[in-house]
Parts: sequence; structure tokens; C-alpha cells
Amino acid sequence: MVSTKPAPGHFAILYFAAASTFTAKSTESLPAPVKARDLFAALEKRYPGIKEKVLNSCAVTVNLEYIDLDGDDAAQQDLVIEAGDEVAIIPPVSSG
Amino acid sequence: MFKRRLASLISDCDHHSLPNSAHGFSSPRSIPSTKSNMASISVIESLRQQIASCEVQLQHLRQQLAEAERQRQQQCEQERLRHTTTTDPLTHDMNYGIADDFRSEIFAVLSSVGDEQPASRRWPLDYSEYKRYGRQLIMPEIGLQGQLRLKNASVLIVGVGGLGCSAAAYLVGAGVGTVGLIDGDVVEESNLHRQILHSTARVGMTKVDSAMVSLSSLNPNVKLVPHYSRLTPESAISTILPYDLILDCTDTPDSRYLISDTCVLLGKPLVSASALRTDGQLMLLNSPPLPPGDSRGGPCYRCVFPKPPPPESVVSCGDGGILGPVVGVMGVLQALEVIKVLTRENQHSLAPPADAQGPQSTGQCAITSEPTPDPPSLLIFSAYANPMFRSIRLRTRKPKCATCSTHATITSEALNSGSLDYVQFCGTINRVDALSPSERISVDNYAKVRMEVNPFTGMEPSKDNHILVDVREKVQFELCSLDGSVNIPFSTVSSTPGLGANGAGSGTDGVEQNWVSKLRRPPEKPIFVVCRLGNDSQLTVRKMKELGLDCGGRRWIGDIKGGLRAWRESVDPEFPDY
Repeated sequence: MVSTKPAPGHFAILYFAAASTFTAKSTESLPAPVKARDLFAALEKRYPGIKEKVLNSCAVTVNLEYIDLDGDDAAQQDLVIEAGDEVAIIPPVSSG
Repeated sequence: MFKRRLASLISDCDHHSLPNSAHGFSSPRSIPSTKSNMASISVIESLRQQIASCEVQLQHLRQQLAEAERQRQQQCEQERLRHTTTTDPLTHDMNYGIADDFRSEIFAVLSSVGDEQPASRRWPLDYSEYKRYGRQLIMPEIGLQGQLRLKNASVLIVGVGGLGCSAAAYLVGAGVGTVGLIDGDVVEESNLHRQILHSTARVGMTKVDSAMVSLSSLNPNVKLVPHYSRLTPESAISTILPYDLILDCTDTPDSRYLISDTCVLLGKPLVSASALRTDGQLMLLNSPPLPPGDSRGGPCYRCVFPKPPPPESVVSCGDGGILGPVVGVMGVLQALEVIKVLTRENQHSLAPPADAQGPQSTGQCAITSEPTPDPPSLLIFSAYANPMFRSIRLRTRKPKCATCSTHATITSEALNSGSLDYVQFCGTINRVDALSPSERISVDNYAKVRMEVNPFTGMEPSKDNHILVDVREKVQFELCSLDGSVNIPFSTVSSTPGLGANGAGSGTDGVEQNWVSKLRRPPEKPIFVVCRLGNDSQLTVRKMKELGLDCGGRRWIGDIKGGLRAWRESVDPEFPDY
């Protein structure tokens, strides 16, 4: 995985651990803008089953900053992911 | 006293070794071969045990010796001081010539300077400690004060596996005064590529004892405290309470929530790390460790990951694999984080949260500090990515966190009473039991299908009258496989859409369709499905039937019960056990 600038009009999304296994990708470009609250639905459309199996327990970051999407009233549901942003899907890893 | 103890230990050892040497070494040739084989195995086993127990005894002796030497040294020092001070004019003045209030003022100043050191000591550290820790002592980040803080600190390492071993090595090396070790497991051969404190000779020994042998030879000055069983909700508070700081080096989601919750309740900072395959994560949690509800405190594990991952998605190092240096680097980073927290300048003791102060409190205060200048962060390590490290800025405590917010529902009473079921919270995987008995075949019967010559026709056993599908991932299939088997990785099977989506297995991806259509072609051949342990094979049989590969029931499709593990155990003991 090499971090590259996303194509114009797109944001970059990084998949770690179980998210990378599920999508069989470590990174890709997705069309922007997307509201944070719609991110999971957009991913579910591309990867059926990912919400239940991976996303629900993940930490999500935008430009290296954790965003809270837990619950409908969570603070950052209305944040908009813009073109050029870097989003990361970070599942908890528990092994050691 | 020590001599007597040593003598009794030696006679113990003799006593243990006598019967074995009589059986194993003096007359091996008189025993028939299978028996002698078994006997030699038991000799090896018993020798291992003897070595292990002698190593533990040796280590205890070393600790006693270190203790005795230290006492002796202190006595000498005290005597020397007593000798020199009798003629010291200052002593004379302090005893006879100074007003009482002035004298007590001087004593107060003197004692506040040297809290950590006995008044009799000339230097705050032992002579040998200056030498041993010299390379870190001369660094401004550590210095004398930092070293004394390390020496007075106690940390608990939960899990003595890949993370715990490398973290413990550096913390013990650095001279942390007390290090507790928790683990309920024994050392296995498959641990050794990454769990650096264990050794080939100590396979079978408890991980805690094995680590103690390594660590006490690395640095005999550190007090090591063994805890031989897994942390449970009932034992968590009493186990964690005496320590200043906790390292989560465990390998399951339920232990991560348990440790984090307990640390919040007891006001202990927590350094949490994890690693799988080529990825690792590191977080300093609950730092500063302020009481639940205080928003200036550091976030806890639940703030970052409020929901546990679904149990079927949780992969262990045994199933998913782990690269030694990946888990090693995460453990080393944990040790670094611990050293940074323990030697921090501005720390001072605060009373731990009121509800955590049980009667068993030892009076040791948790290490706390003013809200730190470093905002909380999650460090992500990805060995094959560029850059390898990413640091994520975390938020402060989550306003609705179940553990550390004003809405907290997790209390020490609930924890102690055992009413919090972490295993249930994280879910458990039901053993896959997806098929009826008629859809399954035992390894013994499958061996007959493959290997036995038909006694009537004299026909060679055939691998061609059926299809054997191995659904392990490609890399495992390449390690070892049964002759004639076809590899269709389970990840390919499970990502193939079923009939419901858009026709029989016609995924958008041509490759996935390919495996389905290939299996359709000789419709008279039964399909046997095998995997590593016998779970994925059942799910694959299900999927194949969903996709109509069983020709409406005219073609037999079934799985080989217990997978290749059962094959090795019952049929072919030489099939690799990886």
C-alpha cells in the first residue's frame, strides 16, 4: 500500500486489518463529497455484508482524526468528506 | 540457612533423577522397540520437567542471593556510616548544639530531598545500578530522577506472548522495580518464532515461569511477580490494584474490554497493543487516569471501540498468522510508552477514584498527572504499507462511554460480583454444525475411498472417481495438500453471491463464476470438501448446494469431518502440523 493522491473529485479510503481482508484492497478512491453518516451505506453497496461484519465495530478517521459515528446523534454524523480527504477504516485488532 | 536450603534442593534433584536414569539410560536395549520409543519419550518429558523445575529453583536461589547480597551491602554501609559519623562535627552539633526547631527544619529538608533513599545511603542508586543503567541515565529524558521513578514503579504485563515478551524484556532491562506477569498458558513450539523470552527447552513450561527464568537472568534486581491464571472479572480488581500501570498484551476482545474497564475503575493508565499478520495497533489509554465522569481524563478502550467485532470475524494468530517482528515491534513500542509515562516530569499522586478504594488498598497511589500535552492517539503499524506508521488523533473521553463518562454503567461492584459477562458481550462462535450426518464423511472412511484396493475387482483406489476440494487459503494449500485435491479458497467461496442475488453463482467477477462452472462439468462425480479444521468445509458444502452443484440432490456433496487435523491424527501422522 502506497498512499497516493486520490483522483480529482474523489477521496482516498484506507482499509486496515479485517477491512482490508474483506475488501481485498488496502486502499482505493471513492467519489466525493459524502456525508459521514452515509459512508457506511456507500461502502455496503460496494461490498455487501461489510457493515454488519466489519464496519459496525470499526474506528473511522478523516485526515488522521478520529470521528465519532456511534449513534444517530453522534457529533460528527454531519461532517462532509470532501475530495482529497483521506479516510481510514480501522477495525479493532485483538490478537497479540 | 542458605547452605541448608541448597543442600536440600540438591538432594531433591537427586531424588527426582534417580528412578528415571534407572529406567531410561541403563537398559534401553532390553525393551522392545515401541516400548523403548515410549520410554524415551517419557524420559525426554521427565528430563524437561526436571530441567524446568531446577531452573525455577535456581532462579529462586538467585533472587535470594541477590537479596542477601543487598542486605549485606546495606549493613556494611550502615556500619561504615556509623563509624565515620561518630567523630563528625556536624553530628555533634546536630545532637548537642542546635535549637530543636532549627534541627527539625533541617531534617525536614533532608528527608524531602531523599524520599526514595534510606538515609544511610551515600548514593541514591546502588553502585551496580549506575553501571547497568548508565547508558539511559545520561539521557536527559531519564536522568537520576527518571531512573528512581522506574525503580519505584510497578507494572503489570497481562499476557506473556508475543507482545508481553518483548515489552517485558525492555522494561526489566530498564530497571522497572516490580514487574507482574499474568498468563494461564504453557509454552508451545509454535510460539517460539516470536515470543522471545521462551526457549526450545522450556516448551511445556508455563509461560510465566519461562519468562521469569529469562527475565531474572537478564536483570536480577527486578522483583518479578507471577500470576499463573487468566484474568477474570472476579479477579481483575484485586490483581490490578497493587500496580501503577498496566500493559494489555492479551489476544482476545473480551480481555481488552475487561482490562480497560478495570483500569478506569482503579485509575490506572493502560498501554494497550495488538498485532495480527502484518498489522499492529498501539494506544495509551486512560491517561491521565482521572475518575469516571471527569472529561479531562484520557479515553478508554470503549471510547475508541465501543462495539466489539463480531466473533466470527475475530482471527487469532493461530488462524490468521503473525510475523514475529510485527508483534515484537508493537511490544517494544509498549515498553517505550510505559517508560515515557513512568518517567514523566510533572506527575504527582492523586487519590484514586473513591469507589475503587477497597480495604485491600495497599496505599500505593496511582500515577497521575496533569492533562498531558500529548493528545491521545492511536498508532497504526502496517509492515507492508508506506508509510509503515500512521498516528491517528483520538478524541477525548466519549460523552456516553459506558465506562469512563458521567453516563458510566460499569462499576467495581458489578465487576467484582461477576455480573458483567465479557465473553457474552463479545459473543462466542458456535461450533459450525451446518450439515446432517449423511452429508459428512469421517477421515477413516475417506481414507478407504482413496487408498484401499477394491478386494473384488483388484481395482486401484481412485482419486479420479471423485473431486476433492480443499478450501484453505492458497498459501496454506501450498504448504501441504492431499494428492489430487483442487484448491478453491474459502474467501473465494464466501464472496460468491448465492442464487438469490443474480443467478447461480454468476458473480460480477469472472473468476468466481469460473470455480462454480468448473465443478459443474462432470456431474456424476461426488464432491468431497476439506479444510484445516472442518468448519469452512461445512459452510462450503452449504454454499455449493445453494448454487445447485448437487444437481437437485442427484450428486453427493459432503465435507470431511475434522478436516486435515483429523486426517493427520487418524490417517497420516506425517501430514504437516503447522
